[in-house]
Amino acid sequence: MQISCSTLVHFIFFIHMQERMLSHSGPHARGRDMFGLCCLPGECVLQRATLVRKKLSAKEGGGWLAGTLFCTDFRVAFVPQDSPKPNDNADPVLLGDHDVALASIEKVVAVGPTRTKLVTPSSSLKFTPEELVLYCRDLRVLCFLFDRLTPEKQAVEITHEIAKIYQPLKPGSVLSFQNAALGSIEMKQFLSNRKRDLSMNWFESSADWEQELERTGATGWRVSSVNDRFEMATSLSRFNVVPQKVLDTELKKTFAHFHEGRIPRWCWRHPRGSNLLRMASFQNNIYHEKDDIRNLELVLFGGQQLCVVVDLAEEMPSPPDIQLAYSRLRALCLGDISASVSVPDDKWLSSLEGTRWLDYTRCCLRKSAEVACLLRGGHLTIVLQEPEDRDMSCVVSSLVQVMCDAHCRTVPGLQGLIQKEWVMAGHRFLSRVNYHRDGEKEEAPVFQLFLDCVWQLFAQYPSRFQLSGDYLLALHDSLHLPIFSTFLANCQRERSRPLQHLSQSYTQVNGLRELPRVSPQDPTDPPLPPVWDWALQYSSERQAHFTQPATQPSTVPPLLNGNLNTCLDGHRQVDGLPGLVFLLSKGSFSSPCNLLPWRNGSGSGSYRKSHRRAPSAEMLLSLERLLKVCSPSEPSQEPQEPLLPILLGPCVKLWKDCYLRGVLHAQAFTHPMSSCLHPVDQLSWEVQQLQQMLVRSSTSGQPDSVSKKQEPQWAESNINQNANNGTFLFPISRSTHTQALTKAPTVHTTTTTTTTGQNAASAQPRPISREGSKHTFLFGHQPESSSNQRYVPTPNARLHKNSSSSQMF
Amino acid sequence: MLSLGTGGGKASKASFVSYVTPEEIKSEKEPPKKNKHPELLPGEVVFCSANPILKFTQDDQSQRGVFGTLLCTNFRVAFVSDEEEDAAQHFKNRLYGEHDIPLMCVDSIYGGYDDKKKLITSGLVKNKSPNKMIIHCKDLRVFQFCLTFTKEEDARKIFQGIVHHCLEPKSLKCVFAFSYSNIPNPERWATTTFDSAEDWNQEMKRTRGWCKIVTGNENFELSQRLPQVFIVPKAVSEEDYAKFQGLGLPIWCWSHHTGCALFKASSVPMLQEDTVAQAYMERMLNDVAQNHLYSVKTEDLSETLPSIQEIQLAYTKFKQFFLIDNTTDFWMSDVKWFSSLENSGWLDIIRQYLQKAVEVVECLEAENTNVLIMEEDGTDLCCVISSLVQLMLDPYFRTLPGFQSLVQKEWVAGGHNFQDRCNHLHHKDKEQCQSPVFLLFLECVWQLLQQHGPGFQFSETYLTVLSDSVHVPVFSTFLFSSACQRVSSIRADSPQTQRGALSCPAVWDWSVQFDRKAQDFFINPLYAEKPVKVVKKSHRPKHQRQLSLPASAFKTPSKKSFFKEETDSLKKMLRLRRISRWMLSPDSPQPSTREFYEAWLRKPLDYHGLLLPCLSGPAIRLWVQRYLRWLPEVQVFGGGAMAVISRLSELLAQVQELKQQLEWKGHRQETNHRGVPAHLQPAVRHSSVFPFASSRNWSFRPVIPTNVFQSLLVPDSLADQDDEYTEVVSLV
Repeated sequence: MQISCSTLVHFIFFIHMQERMLSHSGPHARGRDMFGLCCLPGECVLQRATLVRKKLSAKEGGGWLAGTLFCTDFRVAFVPQDSPKPNDNADPVLLGDHDVALASIEKVVAVGPTRTKLVTPSSSLKFTPEELVLYCRDLRVLCFLFDRLTPEKQAVEITHEIAKIYQPLKPGSVLSFQNAALGSIEMKQFLSNRKRDLSMNWFESSADWEQELERTGATGWRVSSVNDRFEMATSLSRFNVVPQKVLDTELKKTFAHFHEGRIPRWCWRHPRGSNLLRMASFQNNIYHEKDDIRNLELVLFGGQQLCVVVDLAEEMPSPPDIQLAYSRLRALCLGDISASVSVPDDKWLSSLEGTRWLDYTRCCLRKSAEVACLLRGGHLTIVLQEPEDRDMSCVVSSLVQVMCDAHCRTVPGLQGLIQKEWVMAGHRFLSRVNYHRDGEKEEAPVFQLFLDCVWQLFAQYPSRFQLSGDYLLALHDSLHLPIFSTFLANCQRERSRPLQHLSQSYTQVNGLRELPRVSPQDPTDPPLPPVWDWALQYSSERQAHFTQPATQPSTVPPLLNGNLNTCLDGHRQVDGLPGLVFLLSKGSFSSPCNLLPWRNGSGSGSYRKSHRRAPSAEMLLSLERLLKVCSPSEPSQEPQEPLLPILLGPCVKLWKDCYLRGVLHAQAFTHPMSSCLHPVDQLSWEVQQLQQMLVRSSTSGQPDSVSKKQEPQWAESNINQNANNGTFLFPISRSTHTQALTKAPTVHTTTTTTTTGQNAASAQPRPISREGSKHTFLFGHQPESSSNQRYVPTPNARLHKNSSSSQMF
Repeated sequence: MLSLGTGGGKASKASFVSYVTPEEIKSEKEPPKKNKHPELLPGEVVFCSANPILKFTQDDQSQRGVFGTLLCTNFRVAFVSDEEEDAAQHFKNRLYGEHDIPLMCVDSIYGGYDDKKKLITSGLVKNKSPNKMIIHCKDLRVFQFCLTFTKEEDARKIFQGIVHHCLEPKSLKCVFAFSYSNIPNPERWATTTFDSAEDWNQEMKRTRGWCKIVTGNENFELSQRLPQVFIVPKAVSEEDYAKFQGLGLPIWCWSHHTGCALFKASSVPMLQEDTVAQAYMERMLNDVAQNHLYSVKTEDLSETLPSIQEIQLAYTKFKQFFLIDNTTDFWMSDVKWFSSLENSGWLDIIRQYLQKAVEVVECLEAENTNVLIMEEDGTDLCCVISSLVQLMLDPYFRTLPGFQSLVQKEWVAGGHNFQDRCNHLHHKDKEQCQSPVFLLFLECVWQLLQQHGPGFQFSETYLTVLSDSVHVPVFSTFLFSSACQRVSSIRADSPQTQRGALSCPAVWDWSVQFDRKAQDFFINPLYAEKPVKVVKKSHRPKHQRQLSLPASAFKTPSKKSFFKEETDSLKKMLRLRRISRWMLSPDSPQPSTREFYEAWLRKPLDYHGLLLPCLSGPAIRLWVQRYLRWLPEVQVFGGGAMAVISRLSELLAQVQELKQQLEWKGHRQETNHRGVPAHLQPAVRHSSVFPFASSRNWSFRPVIPTNVFQSLLVPDSLADQDDEYTEVVSLV
């Protein structure tokens, strides 16, 4: 995401408002000064209202913020009165901190002195609004208050303008929205020059997949490019991971046996040697040749003797269920300003229960926990089976990995995971999010459900995540912004079609229905950026909040008997027995005879039955035990022990930061701790500072060799200790520390500012009072600083009196 | 014993928890040492004991447990395990161990007969004695003892003994506090006790109150209802003090910085024609109005708030969700968790009390009126409301010593009837009066604490411990029914006591229960201490300042500026003698407080100013630590908010240490490396309910509760669910 600014300077335009003002916004042309709105290239300001106040949420510090409100053809922007002058050289940011994209707006409500009115494009406003409330799809509610000094005309006009231009349910409006944001030549050039974030795995090339195989230590698998032109399965990605033993020619025959050709594909390997696969349902009315059967078994078992098919169709909520629950939850959390009926406070909990949303999150988490527990057993293959393999299996397979793989709890890790299990695996983002607002039937917030589940895990194990709640929230919000290639397609084929110019015939052959208007005119199409380009949406200050310091370093999972697979494989070939296969459904195991359609009925199946009986019962028991008996929750948990969420009633919570941030009265209970610098951040920063000072003071104060030797030793041992216990400072701090160590000899006094480049702006070592070490934290007040540094020492941070050693809640 | 398999999870320890059935154990076991006693407190006497008793681990139906001796003393029901205790506990109570139950803490006892369980109400067990004893505690622990392994006579004896000492009515002097002798320690947290005129004087000075202190009740000559020292409005004449034995006399609680004050009174029983009483009340109201010449609002709390009986009823329903005999029950209740919580009504009662407190705060803060709250006795609902109001308005009471002095002032000196409300003495005729009013207050405080964490110096753990301490019969604080009883009990010459002066400590002497390290858990590490005046406010971000536009320019009417200036008092003259009653129409107060709340929200949050609770549905929450701390199923190991907090404390300790080292460097002294305190060693993973039940090792918890998917499939028919459940179990 790093771009050298100098090469981009000529793309960046700071556009004077009056130059871009549309002709009909004549009245404002008099305001000749700039109001600080940094427009995107090609963005037009349609309306402006001055002296407006925006209501700030608790996260932003609460209270009201005065400034100017703009309505452009892309967003509703709010520029605070005393915001710093925009930097001409900065990269264009699509949305400022106080802005909302038009496409995210769901409802525009004007509040007058006596009444409130839902403003639609066709309606007329009969009163001067005092307040303008924007209800957004991502459950935010923005509230703007018009000042008495705001010209009434401005207030009325901007309300009308927003109501007119925000995306009403009109087909094709998404495209015009994208063009408004990204359509200009400058913007296109800028976007095409953006570099990809190389710290994450994009799973776009076969090398990416190989990298993942290597990371997880999976052997016996290879990346197949048989689907390179999407001939075999239109909804699958180009590259799929299949057992090494199966040749591409053999593999080709297996596609027909699965719904939409979604064959069993490898997703992830547990450090103990189990593999996670996913597939669609079997095509039953197909003749199984003997060769086919061999290949099918090979693909399904992936070199293991034991296979468990996890059925995701029966007990999981269906997309319509999820949609219903979500709409109920929205209605409950957001209230409805036009319908004055709201849930009374004392009925809130049962209404929440009635939405069933939390039940569904529990259901997903529970299923994933089951799979995660099974994977612990080692040396088996778990196949997630869903009729379409495009919704719940995305949720479950990615949750399993979040639970089991510490790497997936980091920001790049989760992004890679979503690329792998959602984007490439063909989750129908376009239909499920329903950007076009046409096929209501397909709409279902499956991805939101997944994010909620991750948040539940995060809420229960905050210290085991590197990513933060803010990150999850940002991802949640981005889903509602229809400009990201990540979300604007149903599968990789659609996503790459504008560039590849694939011929139509393939779709015809595979019987896919005509896709909705994704790419009507290729040349004018703006290049859509991926959502992971966070710099487009968030300032670096806000991006800094995406990670939290209290985390375990993602350790490379140990390669446990990497070649065990092959050993088993050889064994299998010798005695020629087919592997055992079980079905996990409703929390218990069974082995119905028609589980694998090719084993059913045919004579070949029956003679093996006698062979299979004895180990099968034994196996069944050992599998059951995996589910029922938890490993003792020792204080020292192994890193590969999955994070198993507790799913009992009191432990599953509502994601308040997301669903309730719109509630106008909800501010008080959002913990003000999160409003600015997290205290852990603050403290770890302070530890760093003190360590640096200690190093410096020792080197400057006592130049004799004895103490000089002693001191770095101590610091070094401290680093080691931190690395060992695994919960200390994250890499950045360590690097600065070592930096400080190396630089230490050059610094002479204790009072000079740090010279480490990274923290130069914010490092103002405050004089430490030698006599009393009083200490207090002040939260809710973000230190004012123009720098983008994350660590800003609060000038009066002090420990309070009684903290003689340490305190706890 | 559960804790045995703990402490670092060593294999040797964990192996103790038996996988075999009790019968097998018994046959292998050599006869245990007889009469293993716990360390008795000074003055503690053992009544009876029995061995071996099997104490079940709180688990599903399995019959696992720990053998040991069950004793009943004049202080507690104690269980001493035959195995060695694990000493490594960070949060150990010095008075009673993990498996001990102070007699007052026993909530109810059930006898288990094979499959049935029966509530025991009196010490006389008619037919055969039960083979299992289940004890529910007031701090929500549940113990199950199996009596079948001991001699039948012993079993009967211990059962009857425990039932007798826990449930039978007894006299006050039998309470353990009267036998307990303890040398009071120097207090760590200075607490004003409000038993002398000096304390009251100080308090009035602190709040700049303008009332007069009455000291004439030193020996309760005026009235037994009134405290020894109390404060009334200046205008009240002396002959009015005892006119109705102190009924109706407005007692000063607290003064707002503008001068208007909060008073509480018990209501005078007023008949329709009782002109004397009516005239008296009129006079009292007028006298209150003389205070700084503000107008008066009166509120009869018993008319608008749930009564103590309703509180008791709701709490009885509510606590049932947490008193769980085995985990299967819990999983079944879990399906309808939210709605069952809601149906108990307990959370709604909390909301109503907080709401009322906000209304009173509005009168004091925004409308500048004196407030007189009334109620039949003046010592129950009044105490809740007045202390909540003070907590919201006065940052001093949000510090630990301040909070303790608030409880002393409003509850202890204020004469809350702890004895009857908790039914410490188990008198049958007092069961009507039983009601967890004090707990309700702590609940409300917890809600505030939850919403405005950095505003409070004390922690959630402190509140939990305080709520437990009410039922520990060692402290004088929560033992008595009135100030009069307290004084007469403590005096050596009173007939109540036989063994001379009562010398039990106050609950505020925390060193009686916890060592210094454990007391650190009482402190909120995130407390935002009041900034020293020297510090400039430049660190605030700009947008938090008031806007540069004049406030009057905005269209939304800001009714009044929040803080009255002194010059306003001239206007008050006009309003003299205007006495308004609270509007009784149910719908009207709501919007006004909402407006007040919103006005407050609009201002930047100041942790050293007014703090108001949010009362919307999602904001009132379950006090997880108190109610769920003993349930292993809901503990998150290595997780929960505790993980963040413990990390925070770790860092704090580190900062401290580094500073110290830096200081040493400055003085050119030798450094001696000091380790992080043992309980903060990062290797130790705490569960989410730390410090309670921290050391338990629940190795038998199934990974996934079995009922979740059932709730999805068959949401309505419980019968089907049962079937399915057993089906799944039988498969195992």
